[in-house]
Amino acid sequence: MVVPARLSRACRSRTHTSPTTSSTSNSPRSGLRAPILLLGGNLAAQYQFMSWANQPVIGYGLPEHTRERMDYLAAQGMVGYFGRPFYNLVYDLVSHEGLDPDHQGARGRIGQCGMAVYSVRDMERLFNGLDLRKINVVHITYYQVIPALAQYIAYAERLGIEPGELRGNSMNWYHQSAYVGMSAFPPDQALKLAVELVSFCTRNMPRWNTTNFFCYGIEEAGGTAVEEIGLTLAFGKELARACMAAGLKPDDFLPRFGFQIAQANDFFEEVAKIRAMRRIWATTMHDIFGAKDPRSLHVRIHTQTSGAVLTAQQPLANFIRTTLHAFGAALAGTQAMEVSSYDEALAIPTAEAATLALRVQQVIQEETNVQAVSAPLAGSYYVEALTDQIAKAALAVVEKVEAQGGYVAAQQKGWIRREVERSAARWRELVNSGERRIVGQNCYVREEGPEPEIFEISPDVEQIAIERIRELRATRDSARFKRAMSDFEVAAKSFANRKVSELGDDNLMLAAIEAARADATTGEMMGVLKSALTWGPPY
Amino acid sequence: MERRIRVLLARPTQDCHDRGVRYLMRMLRDNGFEVIFTNFLLAEEILSSALQEDVDVIGISSSSGGHMPVFEDLLAGMRKESLDDVLLVGGGTIPQRDIRKLKEWGVAEVFRPGSSAEDLIDFIRKNVGRFSL
Repeated sequence: MVVPARLSRACRSRTHTSPTTSSTSNSPRSGLRAPILLLGGNLAAQYQFMSWANQPVIGYGLPEHTRERMDYLAAQGMVGYFGRPFYNLVYDLVSHEGLDPDHQGARGRIGQCGMAVYSVRDMERLFNGLDLRKINVVHITYYQVIPALAQYIAYAERLGIEPGELRGNSMNWYHQSAYVGMSAFPPDQALKLAVELVSFCTRNMPRWNTTNFFCYGIEEAGGTAVEEIGLTLAFGKELARACMAAGLKPDDFLPRFGFQIAQANDFFEEVAKIRAMRRIWATTMHDIFGAKDPRSLHVRIHTQTSGAVLTAQQPLANFIRTTLHAFGAALAGTQAMEVSSYDEALAIPTAEAATLALRVQQVIQEETNVQAVSAPLAGSYYVEALTDQIAKAALAVVEKVEAQGGYVAAQQKGWIRREVERSAARWRELVNSGERRIVGQNCYVREEGPEPEIFEISPDVEQIAIERIRELRATRDSARFKRAMSDFEVAAKSFANRKVSELGDDNLMLAAIEAARADATTGEMMGVLKSALTWGPPY
Repeated sequence: MERRIRVLLARPTQDCHDRGVRYLMRMLRDNGFEVIFTNFLLAEEILSSALQEDVDVIGISSSSGGHMPVFEDLLAGMRKESLDDVLLVGGGTIPQRDIRKLKEWGVAEVFRPGSSAEDLIDFIRKNVGRFSL
């Protein structure tokens, strides 16, 4: 293990006696002018200038079902930056696996844990009547990120909207295959796919956020706060180097990177983690990569309150946990927030549970007056010392990754997985021994009452999704489809053989968009990529 | 030497939640079991691993939904391949109402969030070889 799982405990005992000992001569603070480095937020005036965006994750059933929840939550006050509508949408298990609903592996998984959206026509059903120029859309995909973005671009084109007018987010989450055990592309090919999307968007979609660092997944998989930010910075360096090798300049692509960060139980450690991340990210991008634009140094955060620490037992107690998490994120100066619902450990949320999760954010936003101040914890001896210690320990993680040749090499060796898994086991041992207490689970246990209402998707979703995909195949322009898919195959094969330094012509992305225009489905496009780049279990 | 109990732990490949099942793999190994761990897309893949590895126990992890067809197909396959003496258990975010149905179908036990590794280990030791579909 890189650091003790309960860093804060160790820090707490040290800082009581000597709060300043953590600032060393080679402190990560050096090398950057102070005014740029705001640890409490990206801007001096934060919530006074712009409140955080409400970004509950939405997605289940058919596109119309997801749309119903989008409209419902918007009516409940869910709002994005500067009052604009904002939709954080997740695709279903079938899409994540790069399949179509008529594949035999799709049964039982259609519209589960996400929306059954597989084509431009499904996007028409999803966004019908919304002005894409006025909304922000996050597409939560795993490795089907290029097909999903290509379809969104093709859908926008049908409405007469240019890619450059679109606002939102692609996840570009290939790096998570180092610590999330889903089937995936090999890490070296995956890095190129990430660069391809960054490159295309940098040239054509200046308002699009190209990459979301999935820090959240590290902590949820069992990693420590230090590992969460250390491994993320290590991957950030890998991706930045790769983008530069493909001919991009740091100030052109860094401002469109974002971070999805977990906010879990250890209150001060989780706040200090974010402050530490701002410091080490800004310092690294400035000192090593030569970024000059202040936006390149910002850590723009989408907070997701931790799901892993929520319990199936006494589920209403989860409201107290999520409220503390959300409050911590607010004090840490997050830009957007997704509060897990109280029934997280049981199923995807009911409408009522989703509403109440939104209310957690709204109560903090509207009633506590915390938005009147920026960086309220700055200057606290404890928070400052903890920030220093976490930053230092995280940089040590980065060093270890770099010593192995970078993130991709460390992933290929299985090192990242081993580290995270060791921390997960350590956490579980602490729970088992009772040193880490979980109310309702290893203390204050009581007999469980009846299970609360569980959300279920409509049973006819599968059949309808299958009928739709068959209808699409029967009615699309098959000559155009065949031509586009054949070109996409050629582009994918060529892409597979290229080095990172040979990217930058956006050939693969352009071919994907043409395939999407020709009504290619997610399963069809992923089939091409899987076969050209090879696809398999991560280990 | 006594033959060690062989356990196949399998998880759906598109389910992003694998922290729990990976922890169980470690705990089972530490407690003297032989563990085979695999991702699957189709139930028939679990079945073929189970046959090939001659396992005594199959454990299915599922935390993103979509578990019912997996168990349905797997149980049908187990009956067909005469694997009816293999202990089948499940775990993850599986609602109570599904658990009732799964037990009727022949799943020996389902471990919910908050269960401990010891619960699983004890259950296997007590029931392996004594359960039939």
